[in-house]
Amino acid sequence: MSEGAVETILFYAIAAMSLFFAIATVTARRLLRAAVALMFVLVLSAGFYVMLAAEFLAGVQVLVYVGGIVVVIVFVIMLTSSVDLLEERPPLLRKALGALAAIGFFGTTAAVYLTTDFGAAADAAPPAESARAIGAALLDYGPHGYVVPFEVISLLLLAALVGGIAVARRSPPPSQPLTSGGDLPGEVSFTPPKRQNDPEGGASHA
Amino acid sequence: MSGAVAALPFILRNAWLVAAIPFVSFVFVGLVLRPKVPRIAGVVATLSIFAAAGVAGGVAWEYYHLFPPGALHPAIVPFAFEWLRFMPGLTVTMGVLLDPISVLLLLVVTSVSALVHLYSIGYMHGDPGFGRFFTFLNLFTFSMLGLVIAPNILQIYVFWELVGVSSFLLIGYYYEKPSAVAASKKAFIVTRFADLGFLIGVLILGYNGYTAFGDVGPTVAREVTGRIATDLQPFDFLYLTHPDLLGRLAAPALAVGGVSLLTIAMILVFMGAAGKSAMFPLHIWLPDAMEGPTPVSALIHAATMVVAGVYLVARLFPAFAFSGDALTVVMCVGAFTSLFAAVIGCTQDDIKRVLAFSTLSQLGYMMFALGVAAMDRPAGYTASMFHLFTHAFFKALLFLGAGAVIHAVHTNSIWEMGALRRKMPITHLTFLVATLAIAGVWPLSGFFSKDEILAAALRGGHPVVFGLGLLVAALTAFYMFRIYIVVFLGRARHEHAEHAHEAPFVMWAPLALLALLSAVAGFVPFGSFVGIGAEAGHEGIDLAVAIPASTAGVLGIGLAFLLYSGDGARATAGANALGGAYRVVKRKFYVDELYLFVTHRIIFRHISRPIAWFDRHAVDGMVNLSGWTTRRTGSLLGALHGGRVQAYGVWLVGGTLFLLLVLWSAAF
Amino acid sequence: MPDILAGLGLAPGIVHWMVLTAALFAVGLYGILTRRSAVGVLMAVELLLNSAALSFVVFNHFRMPALVDGQVMAVFVIAVAAAEVVVGMAVFVALYRVSHTVDLNRLDRLKNDEVKP
Repeated sequence: MSEGAVETILFYAIAAMSLFFAIATVTARRLLRAAVALMFVLVLSAGFYVMLAAEFLAGVQVLVYVGGIVVVIVFVIMLTSSVDLLEERPPLLRKALGALAAIGFFGTTAAVYLTTDFGAAADAAPPAESARAIGAALLDYGPHGYVVPFEVISLLLLAALVGGIAVARRSPPPSQPLTSGGDLPGEVSFTPPKRQNDPEGGASHA
Repeated sequence: MSGAVAALPFILRNAWLVAAIPFVSFVFVGLVLRPKVPRIAGVVATLSIFAAAGVAGGVAWEYYHLFPPGALHPAIVPFAFEWLRFMPGLTVTMGVLLDPISVLLLLVVTSVSALVHLYSIGYMHGDPGFGRFFTFLNLFTFSMLGLVIAPNILQIYVFWELVGVSSFLLIGYYYEKPSAVAASKKAFIVTRFADLGFLIGVLILGYNGYTAFGDVGPTVAREVTGRIATDLQPFDFLYLTHPDLLGRLAAPALAVGGVSLLTIAMILVFMGAAGKSAMFPLHIWLPDAMEGPTPVSALIHAATMVVAGVYLVARLFPAFAFSGDALTVVMCVGAFTSLFAAVIGCTQDDIKRVLAFSTLSQLGYMMFALGVAAMDRPAGYTASMFHLFTHAFFKALLFLGAGAVIHAVHTNSIWEMGALRRKMPITHLTFLVATLAIAGVWPLSGFFSKDEILAAALRGGHPVVFGLGLLVAALTAFYMFRIYIVVFLGRARHEHAEHAHEAPFVMWAPLALLALLSAVAGFVPFGSFVGIGAEAGHEGIDLAVAIPASTAGVLGIGLAFLLYSGDGARATAGANALGGAYRVVKRKFYVDELYLFVTHRIIFRHISRPIAWFDRHAVDGMVNLSGWTTRRTGSLLGALHGGRVQAYGVWLVGGTLFLLLVLWSAAF
Repeated sequence: MPDILAGLGLAPGIVHWMVLTAALFAVGLYGILTRRSAVGVLMAVELLLNSAALSFVVFNHFRMPALVDGQVMAVFVIAVAAAEVVVGMAVFVALYRVSHTVDLNRLDRLKNDEVKP
């Protein structure tokens, strides 16, 4: 069995697993399971990156996505809902419309890909050390340099950091109105809904 | 304002005060005194009307000294202002028109109204609606004066409706009483129906007058120059009654089905006049209107408002006379009503209803007096106004006297009164004066005016009408003495009548004043004050008329004494002898029942109900359908905006895909 | 040994890879449109971003293997995804504190004044 055949089989196997976990991510009724499925999808994507000769990216994927993002998501799941809580089923009509949109999207784009002539695959040796190449590109300027987007991304991350803290912080007591996060009792008027499927009642989460 | 008008005496230039004073008083009494201190509302309202009467007296004095004595007094418009401007050349003014009849009516309305106001202070004393009563009474007086001084046909229409409203309000004054509410509605609906004709007539006159204004207007304007305060307008009476215009309206080119347009318009106008003056087919509201307080009956439904119809015909008399046919209609309706009401009046038991039918009968008298006149034979015109003048006094007196009696006895039925002569001597005396006056006994006022009317009928070449007039005179004397005998003579028929007391001073003072006026009003040299067209030329008593008329009166009085003095057994026997005929008359010839039949059985069932059904289901249905469609569409479209992000997402993706497919298919 | 699978046209070329990314994207799209929980929606968004990053790398690999521009883009996508998750999660926590729910079907206050029970 040639290396090409192994690669082909590996591609289909990972693709199938990836799709399976992706579907699990969007359909699992327990959010925690969905998060775990998402983690698998991301890990499998790292595999794809390896297959595509992007080993550094695979590492970043695992570190940032799996190690960071999925963990944050799990935290939020824990914060906003009980682990045992089953997500309510979406309305059937919404499901049908969503499926229609998804299938329509897939059909359209797949048809585009299948009818497009991408030309022959370029045949060139990949850079020996992709990490070095990426680092150089990120700090370079010119036709293949990305230093400005890199800096913009760093600003974005900083803004996200500050914004996340500002938004998620608990509202201060009324004695400090100037530091209001925008959700003083007087600024938001609503009646807390009666929660379903929650044996503990609403007060414990407030 | 033209120089001649500016040179008029102050009081004439400010004659609008006559109507303005009651209006200000109406607003003040209605808005301030009625809710705060209703006790003094009566005094203030009364004082304002006396003030207006004073102004009216001044106006009359100055008006009659404006022109050399003996000559005809022309109409002047000493005050007017622009009210509505539709376009240049089409303006509606409000103002004051002074001519002999409007000055006469000003005097009559203000003086009778002032006395009735004074009387009401006593009559309505302690009534919970005291303030409201005087508010309405002031409103009525203002409206009536505005009607009287109207210089154009639109102003008269506006105030015509205002007096209708005040009449409605005052008939329904005791609004807790279902019969009063029904009566007020009846009066309003019947007069409204009549006013429909009036309105159409106004529109015909106004439209044709306006179209002809370019040709005829300048001529008329030249003739009246110096006599009116503003430019001549197409709606002014001075223009509408001008022979040049009337000739155009009567032209064969405008005739409809062989009847000239002028005749049609004037008959329609007369329809309104007949409604207000309760002429025969439209008379049904007036007897019921007696549900209102008695001073109201005296003021509105005897002395002033109901003569507005006569006044309107007199105001447009040149037009009626030019048409000829319309004037004949006036005469026939008037004569018939006169007899018809007099016959019914002989059988009624309610003292106020008898007086109401008497009013109808006398109004018919005035109408046919106008009907027998002509521009070159204006005796009937003068006589009609003369009778209007005297009738206002003695009929108001009769009503106020009846009110005093009702106030004392607490019943309207004459069969529960009796022997009030000793209990209420002043009321008795004044009532007797009025009864003699209306019966036409010399030297009281009714004798003179009735005499004039009969003379006018005889000389106008209408012997049948003259005969009818004589018959009515006899009947009038009969039914008036019938109630006089039953109420004041004989014995007390009910315990209330035994405990009656004389009315207080504020009530009998107006009675006494009115009695004085009723007695002497006949000696006014009326012909030298009021006339139209040619010189009246007739003064004094015409024995050829006076003797038959007095004989008729005396016969009526004698018959009444014969039948009703003593225990009235002869009257009962007479009624039984007449049998069915008596019952028909007593039920007022079943006119009310006929109306009910026509309206309920025919109009309501076969016309109104289908129309109501059509309106409710077809017209409203269309409206509702359009509303429903809009709402339904809105809610359907609104469902797209459910506030749910994911639904928006579906539409976003769907739309994107659609665009993508469109672009893609266009690419190939 | 000749590559049978490649002979059958099954060797993963650029079209295969792209169809795979499209499929992953479609699944994420379905999740965005149907998830009731906002957190679930955010996870579906991660799927979308992941598939987008993947397609960058695929193009990089097949079109210009000597360069790393696609991979740099993928790095950026990962960074943006991280920022998005941080802010998104913070918003959900705040939202939950206010509304006691992250169910998107009940968070329709754009239309109604109060959260539906």
